[in-house]
Amino acid sequence: MEPLKIVVSGPMGAGKSTLIRTLSETEIVDTEALASEAIGKKLTTVAMDFGTLHLGDQLLYLFGTPGQERFDFMWDVLADGALGMVLLVRGDHPQDFPIARRQLDFLLSLQAVPYVVGVTRQDQPPVWTPQEVALYMGQPAERVVGLNATEPRSAVAPLLRLLELMIEEETQLP
Amino acid sequence: MAIFGDLNHMTLGDLLPLLGAQDGAMEIFNLDEHACVTLYFRSGKLQCLHVGSRPADPLVARSTVSRLVSAKRGSFEFVPGAQAHRCPQPLGWPLDKLLLASVAVQDEINELERRLPHPQTIFRRVRYHEPEDDRLTEFLRRAGDLLDVGASAADIAHRLQIPLDHTQYYLHKLRQLGLLEPVRAQAKRSNRLVAAANLLTSLKHRFFGERQAWNH
Repeated sequence: MEPLKIVVSGPMGAGKSTLIRTLSETEIVDTEALASEAIGKKLTTVAMDFGTLHLGDQLLYLFGTPGQERFDFMWDVLADGALGMVLLVRGDHPQDFPIARRQLDFLLSLQAVPYVVGVTRQDQPPVWTPQEVALYMGQPAERVVGLNATEPRSAVAPLLRLLELMIEEETQLP
Repeated sequence: MAIFGDLNHMTLGDLLPLLGAQDGAMEIFNLDEHACVTLYFRSGKLQCLHVGSRPADPLVARSTVSRLVSAKRGSFEFVPGAQAHRCPQPLGWPLDKLLLASVAVQDEINELERRLPHPQTIFRRVRYHEPEDDRLTEFLRRAGDLLDVGASAADIAHRLQIPLDHTQYYLHKLRQLGLLEPVRAQAKRSNRLVAAANLLTSLKHRFFGERQAWNH
């Protein structure tokens, strides 16, 4: 059976590597380097993160894109052929929202990839709720999910929502 | 009178007030982006701007002045009394207002930085309304046809020969006014419905066991 791919995107420090590390069964392949910006951690992804999940006979690949815009060519490459995309943004870091919206607009204007927005750090108030972020990003409320990327049942929430919306939309297409 | 020098030592912002009372042409050469730009002044107004030997339309002229105001490289020389031989669209911009507007736009672009749309994001016009801002009106007049079918900042900047960051700035402003929206690539039936449904069931089972409810 052909492996499926879900891409995890978003600005630097949004929690992409953490989410993939939380969900992946295998040790994730990462390409981290010292962060050039103050993002609350020393290392940041510069090429991609890669994790896997075996679900019965279905293999799921999780690809994390680098957050820095100088690697934007990777966003498009990684999103190509993906089953869907999760765009993460830190709920306690509103200064990243414009960057997240910019990334989302860019990716969606090039690729018709199903997507959801994940708002991380819901366990660390004060934090924007998914509904508030949906309003800012101009997204329908159902397309924005709150999560804590370090907790498996919470980290999987955007994937579940993505698949539910995909199924709903696919059945409505002519 | 000899007004000449280098933009590295004296910016166009310093020079414009000097030229308020002069009629003539300021030639600026050895620039990073253009071989030569000539600004023609009369009665305290910028009457015409040539990029190379070609007169610039208002949109290009505005962007060029804005670039020149922040340029750190280039030599200039003022030729008193010189007039433009060709000026199909006279500008008639008062120098004080021009300087203020140019500096303000460049400052705003620097301030907005990464909030400006990505150069490759495609925008389309969704509402027809003339903005009150002359710069935006002029931009829409020139870029309207492209935006009716969908175009990115990179496309528009290339077609209109204006700086990319200015184009991103105009798109940002027009989006804020609700006149443009980013285009969404059209979804096609992907034949992945079964795969998505199976994956959903498997993920729920993996992370929630027999519990079908999940909270988020």
